[in-house]
Amino acid sequence: MSSPLAKPQIIAHFQKSLNYTVFDSKWIPCSAKFVCLGNFARGTGVMQIYEVQHGEAQLIKEVEYPKPIKCGTFGATSLQQRHIATGDFDGNLNIWNLEMPGPPVFTVKAHKEIVNSIDGVGGLGIGDGAPEIVTGSRDGTVKVWDPRQKDSPVANMEPVEGETKRDCWTVAFGNAFNDQDRCVCAGYDNGDIKLFDLRNMSVRWETNIKNGVCCVEFDRKDINMNKLVATSLEGKFHVFDMRTQHPTKGFDSVSEKAHKSTIWQVKHLPQNRDIFMTAGGAGNLHLWKYEYPAHRSKTDSDDMEVGVAGSVTLLQNATLSTQPIASLDWSPDKQGLCVCSSFDQCVRVLIVTKLSQV
Amino acid sequence: MRCADAASSLQNQTTTADNSGKVPVEHLDYDYIRKCQDVKYLDMIWRVLRSGDEGIYPHLIEFCESHLEKLDPMSLVLRKEKPVATAASLSNDEWSQIVDELKKWQEETKETETSLKQQSMFDELVNTNLPPIRGSNRSFPLSQTSVPKEKRYSSKHTLPRDYREWDKFDVEKECERIDENLVKNDASVIISTGHPKLKTKVDASMLTQQEKLLLANYEKDKGNEAFRANDYEEAVAYYSRSLSIKPTVTAYNNRAQAEINLKYWHNAMRDCVRVLELEPGNMKALLRRATVYNHMCNFEMAVEDLRVVLKEEPQNAAATQLLSETEKKRKECQPEQQSKGKKILIQEVEEEDDNNNNEKTKAEDTARPVEPSQPVGGEESSAAPAERGDMGNAQKKPHSRGDGGPHSESNNSHHGHRRSKGGSSDKYKVTQESKEKVANGTSKRGSTASVPADQSNSGKETPVGGNAGETVNLDAPCGALPPPLARLKNEGNLLFKNGQFSDALEKYSQAIQGCTDSGIDSPEDLCILYSNRAACYFKDGNSQECIQDCTRALELQSFSIKPLLRRAMAYDSLERYRKAYVDYKTVLQIDISVQAANDSVNRITRLLIEEDGIEWREKLPDIPLVPLLAQQHRREEPPSAEVLQARAEKTVRDAERKAEGRFTALKQEGNDFVKKGQYQDALGKYTECLKLKPEECAIYTNRALCYLKMERCTEAKQDCDAALKVEPTNKKAFYRRALANKGLKDYLACSSDLQEVLRQDPNVQEAEKELEEVTALLRESLANAKALPAKPRKTVPITEVEGDEEATGVANSESSHRGEDITTNLRPTDAYEYGQALNAARCSGNTAACADLLASTTPETLPQFLSTQLDGNTISFIMQALDSHLLEKDPNLVYRHLNHLHTTDRFSVVLMLLEKEERRHMTQLFEHLSAVQSTEFTKNDVQNLANKYI
Repeated sequence: MSSPLAKPQIIAHFQKSLNYTVFDSKWIPCSAKFVCLGNFARGTGVMQIYEVQHGEAQLIKEVEYPKPIKCGTFGATSLQQRHIATGDFDGNLNIWNLEMPGPPVFTVKAHKEIVNSIDGVGGLGIGDGAPEIVTGSRDGTVKVWDPRQKDSPVANMEPVEGETKRDCWTVAFGNAFNDQDRCVCAGYDNGDIKLFDLRNMSVRWETNIKNGVCCVEFDRKDINMNKLVATSLEGKFHVFDMRTQHPTKGFDSVSEKAHKSTIWQVKHLPQNRDIFMTAGGAGNLHLWKYEYPAHRSKTDSDDMEVGVAGSVTLLQNATLSTQPIASLDWSPDKQGLCVCSSFDQCVRVLIVTKLSQV
Repeated sequence: MRCADAASSLQNQTTTADNSGKVPVEHLDYDYIRKCQDVKYLDMIWRVLRSGDEGIYPHLIEFCESHLEKLDPMSLVLRKEKPVATAASLSNDEWSQIVDELKKWQEETKETETSLKQQSMFDELVNTNLPPIRGSNRSFPLSQTSVPKEKRYSSKHTLPRDYREWDKFDVEKECERIDENLVKNDASVIISTGHPKLKTKVDASMLTQQEKLLLANYEKDKGNEAFRANDYEEAVAYYSRSLSIKPTVTAYNNRAQAEINLKYWHNAMRDCVRVLELEPGNMKALLRRATVYNHMCNFEMAVEDLRVVLKEEPQNAAATQLLSETEKKRKECQPEQQSKGKKILIQEVEEEDDNNNNEKTKAEDTARPVEPSQPVGGEESSAAPAERGDMGNAQKKPHSRGDGGPHSESNNSHHGHRRSKGGSSDKYKVTQESKEKVANGTSKRGSTASVPADQSNSGKETPVGGNAGETVNLDAPCGALPPPLARLKNEGNLLFKNGQFSDALEKYSQAIQGCTDSGIDSPEDLCILYSNRAACYFKDGNSQECIQDCTRALELQSFSIKPLLRRAMAYDSLERYRKAYVDYKTVLQIDISVQAANDSVNRITRLLIEEDGIEWREKLPDIPLVPLLAQQHRREEPPSAEVLQARAEKTVRDAERKAEGRFTALKQEGNDFVKKGQYQDALGKYTECLKLKPEECAIYTNRALCYLKMERCTEAKQDCDAALKVEPTNKKAFYRRALANKGLKDYLACSSDLQEVLRQDPNVQEAEKELEEVTALLRESLANAKALPAKPRKTVPITEVEGDEEATGVANSESSHRGEDITTNLRPTDAYEYGQALNAARCSGNTAACADLLASTTPETLPQFLSTQLDGNTISFIMQALDSHLLEKDPNLVYRHLNHLHTTDRFSVVLMLLEKEERRHMTQLFEHLSAVQSTEFTKNDVQNLANKYI
């Protein structure tokens, strides 16, 4: 925010009313198209592809599925194929070829209950190593899948038998900066955040933010863990500095109470990892900027490195709707272009200006 | 108003006191809000206002918000829910710009998309280089209750065991588990620090062009982000990745910047060069390369790059700043130059005299034709004006005017300078002298040799007597030239100044001719004449002749700056750049500050690079190395940031560094000699030092020290004077002069010097003591004119050698040695002095001194003197002194001392605290003492005494 003129503006480019409940919307990489996932009132799932053309969204394709689709990702596919991986209400993980209708190219009964969240890495040139998909479900498990391996996950994080299963609301990949290292972060309904190290197959860190974790995201999946944002049910979000882990204190964080309602989504700008947008339950969007402290770590009294969190500044906010905004996605190709969907059965394409000047 | 203020401040106090309480209604007031500085309280007020409980005042709310914003711009209150902006909320221009961009992007992406699709149709090769699938289905259970490291076993065993469980407890198994856990702990505690595993290369061989571009950009973005987070190592890694996919100018450029921040100068340089290969004239790369050059101390190249940048972008603030910084550094790099001179104005024929009359004279010159008198010539040049008067040419005007005329002394060597200065300062004397001469009517006739030349001039000369106006003195002495020739030269100078170059040329030619004809052996003057004529040729555009004349001048006097410069300019104008370059460089070796040469060198360098490429230097003729002697009249550059860099500087610096090195070496040797006490040798070294650098204060003071040591007080005083001339506040110089003065028995001067030292630094104890002493001596000497110093005193031994920095240790060593002095010489009169003397002796381990002291003390007074200062060390020391020195000489005294010593205060306490070694000394003493036969005491007495001690 160097000057008031340089302040980014959130502009509603256009909106499209839909005849179904939309749960997720995603840009198709390397295109001006986006996918909307949801469920019809009749209980079936739907996937629609829209193209941005002449200031409005042109429906290109619509496919109906037997089960409502909760979430999707392009994270584990190549730029050439651009297959979307989806999770549905029945606990299935499907990978679809958008070009060719028909049965999914990959399908697995991943969970016993609804797949709440999905994320992919290793595709699109983002993240070294194998393409992998992680799913988090109400059944309390977090599973990592390799599209080349049918039927069984490559890693499975499940609660111990006999303990109450917590609803996993969100999953995210991170730390995939080389072939071996990779982390999965999962957030649960009781406020637990767990960081699984897929290399060591162990829990590397966990914490509790007291309220249900609605969304977690690393600022970048394919770098040495840098920052993690976790949003919560009561309208707070926490930014963890993931560079310095203290053996007992873990990662330092800064938290901000921003929305007066649940923060449903957080998404980092693909072109600048220090800018992110949060989407709230009251239909509002907040654009934030993280500022690093002068020194990102210090040594504490025991001579251990401990991280130092920076600060967040609100760059802009805007109210779009009275209903929660359930999904949000930045275009990976065009800086400032983003799509969001809300429970008022609307999908909106937004333009955020002057992001490069922040 | 004041009342209100007081009230509000009162309120402030009260409100801060009960912050948590409710907001009183009277605080919902413009005045109150304006004065309130408490953000939290304002927040509360705002809430009350917003709630509407006290009524709705929209303007007051607004006011409250604006005030709050001033105090705390980040306040949450200021976060308002805003409706989303639409196209309408932007200006048409902005919006259309956004839409256009979007449209463009849409088209572009469509293209990429189609090409991607086509690619995928042909390219059925599924990525074969994908990493293998992660090892089979590995699941790890999670417990909700933290303790992450014991996941596998936690559910059962982290809980406290109940009794039944203890029954089944298998120790060995448990131990195994614990071991396992430990291993596991170690594994999971690994906290990856840094990013050693980050690959700097990406295998992009399988990717399509589009993908490569995207990926390269993506990696570059990651680099940028890391850069912004000041994580330069990571940034470099990502830029490298980007470059391994597809080399781009931006990535190279950015990597260069990251490397600069990491101080990897060589890598940064390589990247900058690569950018410039890909895109010559890339401003950022040039600027960055300049930065690198700057840090690699290659200031010339830095300046060159910066100038290119500034040429393209004159407004570039970073470049301007860096340029001035570089200039500054470059100057700092140059060794300081001591000698000062005048600035040479290159375009001028000669230096202008500082004479006040100059301007006026010049004006007159132009107004009137030259009015030469008729000199006879041949006299001593200083007497020339007198001669004129003598000739009775009706020129009885005061000479002061004429003297101001442009008498030439264009040689800028020291020699020339001195002469010129002498000349002008002698002006008055000469005039008086001349008057005397006129009165006396005696004068020396000039040599006839110059007469013909003189006569050749006469045709042009206007009749002298008829002109009532004031004339210009054209007979001003010119070096060793006989007056007629000098006159010719001056005329030439005058004509040159007036712009009549061809006429001036003629005059100079005549003068040269005259010189050769008369066989005058004055290369200096001839050199000047040639040089001046060369200037005329140059002005006439005859560069060839100019070069010839300059060459002749240089044959007569090599490394004369003006002919060199003129020849360089002539070569330059003939576009013989290499020769010009060499000459300019030579000029710069002689005087680095010649601006024109600096500029030209830079210009020519560029021309030559264009012409010959990078190896342009190889085609250059050799640049002659200017001997040190010729460099001496370089001077400090004027503090102008615009002075441009010349490469010759390096050679110059080397030479200077050599001189500097020699100087330092000599000084060091001198210092070493002083430390060894070889003052004569040190003296020699310091004298040599001063030959190299006559302005070095420290050397003078050091030499003064040597002189002092050798008791050559007069020389010492002279050196101190010299040092004080260089540095008028040098403490050491004052102190040493004081000592020298003392040695010379000039107590008055001595005391004033000491007072000066103390005025500068009241903490110099030596000076204080010395002053006391000297004051006493002064009083004595005043009282008794004949009186010699009461006691023969050693000269104060000052053994320190002045280093480059004033060592604090110096004072210490001086004081300790002074202490010795006191021990041996002082007859203490009270406990304090005695204690000091004793301590001094003890510190230096000088038992003899102590023995002397003890010998001069009456045993009865010993306890008094020692008073409370007695300690184990002192006793032991006294024992040793008694044992080793006094016992032999005077055992009785020893006995008496011992007899009294034990009556000292605190003796018994000290005795208890004695250490083994100290006791041993004591026993030894008593043993020795008991062995001595004496009339004053018996063995029994000694035994009794010993009982008191041991």
